Amino acid sequence: MDSSVKRTILFLIFCVIGAVFIVRLVFLQLLDDSYLRSAQNNVLQEQTIYPARGLIYDRKGELLVYNDAIYDLTVIPEQVKNLDTTVFCKVLGITKNDFIAKFEKLKRGKGYAPYRPSLFEKQLTIPMYAAFQEKLFDFPGFFVEVRTDRKYKHSNAAHIMGYIGEVTDRDIEQSDGYYRMGDYMGISGIEKTYEKDLRGVNGVRYILVDSKNRTQGRYKEGTFDTAAIAGKNIALSIDQVLQDLGEQLMRNKTGSIVAIEPSTGELLALVSSPTYDPNLFIGRDRGNHYMELLRDPTKPLFNRPLAAPYPPGSIFKVLESLVGQQEKVLTPATSYACHHGYLFVGCHAHSSPNQLRGAIAISCNGYFCQVYRSIVNNPRYHRVEEAYNSFHDHVASFGLGKRLGVDLFGEGAGFLPPATYYDKVYGRYRWQALTTLSLGIGQGELGITPLQMANATSSVANRGYYITPHIVKAIAGKPNPNPEYNVKHWCTVDTSYFPIVIEGMQDVVERGTAYIARIPGIEICGKTGTAQNPHGKDHSVFFAFAPKDHPKIAIAVVVENAGFGATWAAPIASILLEQYLTGKHDTRPALVERMLNGNLTHRDDSIPATKSETF
Amino acid sequence: MNTWEKLKPKGDQYMWAIIFALSIWGLLAIYSSTGALAYKKNGGNVEIYLFQQAGLLLMGFMIMLSVHTIHYKYFIGVSKILIWLTYPLLIYTLIWGIEINGAKRWVSLLGITFQASDVAKLAIIMFVTRELARKQDTIDDFKKTFLPILAHITAICVLIAPENLSTALVLFATCFLILFIGRVKIRHLAIITGSVVIVGVILFLFLFLVPEKAIRGMGRMETWKHRMESFGKHENNPDKSYQNDHAKIAIATGGVFGKFPGNSTERNFLPEAYSDFIYAIIAEEYGFTGALIMLMLYMFFLYRAIRIVLKSPKAFGALIAVGLSFSLTLQALINMAVAVNLFPVTGLTLPLVSKGGTSILLTSVAFGVIMSVSRYIEQDEPESETEKLDENSVNEKEIVAT
Repeated sequence: MDSSVKRTILFLIFCVIGAVFIVRLVFLQLLDDSYLRSAQNNVLQEQTIYPARGLIYDRKGELLVYNDAIYDLTVIPEQVKNLDTTVFCKVLGITKNDFIAKFEKLKRGKGYAPYRPSLFEKQLTIPMYAAFQEKLFDFPGFFVEVRTDRKYKHSNAAHIMGYIGEVTDRDIEQSDGYYRMGDYMGISGIEKTYEKDLRGVNGVRYILVDSKNRTQGRYKEGTFDTAAIAGKNIALSIDQVLQDLGEQLMRNKTGSIVAIEPSTGELLALVSSPTYDPNLFIGRDRGNHYMELLRDPTKPLFNRPLAAPYPPGSIFKVLESLVGQQEKVLTPATSYACHHGYLFVGCHAHSSPNQLRGAIAISCNGYFCQVYRSIVNNPRYHRVEEAYNSFHDHVASFGLGKRLGVDLFGEGAGFLPPATYYDKVYGRYRWQALTTLSLGIGQGELGITPLQMANATSSVANRGYYITPHIVKAIAGKPNPNPEYNVKHWCTVDTSYFPIVIEGMQDVVERGTAYIARIPGIEICGKTGTAQNPHGKDHSVFFAFAPKDHPKIAIAVVVENAGFGATWAAPIASILLEQYLTGKHDTRPALVERMLNGNLTHRDDSIPATKSETF
Repeated sequence: MNTWEKLKPKGDQYMWAIIFALSIWGLLAIYSSTGALAYKKNGGNVEIYLFQQAGLLLMGFMIMLSVHTIHYKYFIGVSKILIWLTYPLLIYTLIWGIEINGAKRWVSLLGITFQASDVAKLAIIMFVTRELARKQDTIDDFKKTFLPILAHITAICVLIAPENLSTALVLFATCFLILFIGRVKIRHLAIITGSVVIVGVILFLFLFLVPEKAIRGMGRMETWKHRMESFGKHENNPDKSYQNDHAKIAIATGGVFGKFPGNSTERNFLPEAYSDFIYAIIAEEYGFTGALIMLMLYMFFLYRAIRIVLKSPKAFGALIAVGLSFSLTLQALINMAVAVNLFPVTGLTLPLVSKGGTSILLTSVAFGVIMSVSRYIEQDEPESETEKLDENSVNEKEIVAT
């Protein structure tokens, strides 16, 4: 290769290298402005403006939850000069050592800088705040910052309200950049389900800062700022008065109350006992209170009405009566004799024999064992399991054994054993009606949540359909926000089979087992249940709706380990029905007094549940 | 001729001007960009790095001037000794080297800490040019001429590579170019190219096909892989592309004429703003114009060096001048390419401009050698066309030079 070719090659190499560099520099420096914009981060600071969280009302417009100002003490260490520590510590109620420790901790914190404000003390009490406001000029470098937190006006319905708390790293990741460290969001209850409506939309303000983070003014007179949009107000379907009375009646008892408006599926009351004051979950001791409640052996944090499965006991007989008629093995005139029970299931003393209506009224175990047997051993089906499956599906159509889809977190499915379950336990083809006879009186493997009980009552009250129970009546003034909650879910039992059963339920209250629940002038239809359980004394269960025609309220009450359904659950339900339908509950002061003062917390677990009859 | 007269810079005056301009420019850029470092390490004494660099540059100039007074033919002998000193030095570094930022590149000998690769660079370039000049007659002989030279190049590069891959690669490319200019047969060069491509592909496949776990613990392989990866794809994680992003921010905010000296904002965000990424700061403060001028300065320096070789193509001096110039310019180009994100992050500095320690002194030696060639080739021009190296005459003078 001669040198002129080499010269050309070298020259070309130079030209290419030079050209590449020039092109790159032109692109980076003169044409592409994306890095120019990211350079502005050095001087532009984005500030988040937090909107006010939506307020929560009850169905009558009574305010339940509002926002309260809380006061954080911040400090710019650089500006602290000539601080009288003694006075300062006295106002804050801490010792000098605490003060030094706090400052040390502050300095170790992430992002600490002497010229930047740091949080010194979270959530001052009002008296502390007042004292500080007075003496703030004595403490240069210290500032009080105002934030808002939730406040619960009535200190009740804790399980419905839930609470808000600081977001976790996972929440931040899942929010597509909406939440940032230190933001608050709904953690449970209504605050969580309707978080997106309640929180509103954060606004943004662009501020120019210098290299030391000191504010220099608005960026372009706020042209790019966006205003915060306040959270939407929510009206719950809860009746505050009813809810409060329910909680009072359940005081010192363990159990649940669920009240539903049958025609709409709106939840009128949702009581879980023992409960706690939702105001414990705000303020500076939030964490401590939470841990205390978590450790409490009575489990106040457990949302019983939604999650706790109970054997329903005798109230299950109502569903059996309906399914039996649908399956054509039972008519209102069907009559069975009862000789203090049926086989190994006992029964109490009553007149015999009975027809359907009478059997419901006196809750005859013998009668309903026969009904269950006739359903499951129905000759129309080839096999027991086919007949049982048909029974299972009918019962499931009342909303049992599955999550209903209420707009609150923590709903349980309960348990309605399918035929395959018994196949597993006893072996295929090796079980039949008598093997599973306890199901006939609402015992056995059955697990039904109080919400499902109330929903089943609601279905009976509606003569054959239910609307999914829900707790929100309106969002931002718009009623029935979720179209899901307008759908009628029809049961697989024909409407024509309901009247005779409802008559029987009315008899239960008028002259049957729940006579104690009778209110003159109101036609109540109900059914007691006394549910055996492995935890001690029987659960007292009652469900009812009223009035008989055009029902306005369906209610289910479970009082754990309290004995007969008629002793506790029925009177409590009756008082609540009276309150809801007449607006007062003063006609039976002695009964109300007894229920309010009843204390079942010192329950005697030494009495074993040996009784084999249920009422 | 007294000593001071002799020390007067002679040779290509353009090249002297460029060396001087780059040094002063670098001094200004370092004074501007070491503020954060001064606060972090020296309690806000901002001038300390300015004086440190100025002192080093001054020493460098003294070295340059002294070296350029020595006739380049003496370096022929030096190179042979130097190459045999380099091997133990490199092995010593690999085993007992001082680790800085996760790479074992430094040695401390006689109280002086320096990068062994800087010495190796000088040694191998001088050695290769010597061999080429000496064996011009048998240059086409594969076994006698080509293979021994290639063996030395490969050995040196392989010894440098584990701890400083980028330097090894630059050095290999430089030697390749020297071979090209030194009239090695194109067929032989093609063999090198072929082998390099094969080795490169194997290494690349190894890095990216072998699971991450296996690579961990194998020296700096993991670093290489991550650097290539973060260069290759557009990184969404701002932590990983932090250096590149801020380099680009610096360059982008410079605009046509820059923010003017001392006004850089990115110097406070960009790590190593005073060494690896000083070109970004220059582009920020002096703008597109400044960045272009700096690029041109290096290119022009190389052009002047190549002019020497074009004038006297067979001379040892011409080859060594162009070899060293090419090595320095290539290093500068790669440093700049890293700053503008044309190339993955390496540890190469910008010669004369970046803040440095002993590397400045060794760079000065290289410049001194180049200027010596420039000076004496101009002086000896009539003979240099036909200059041939007589091994015996050189060997006599070896002792004097060392």
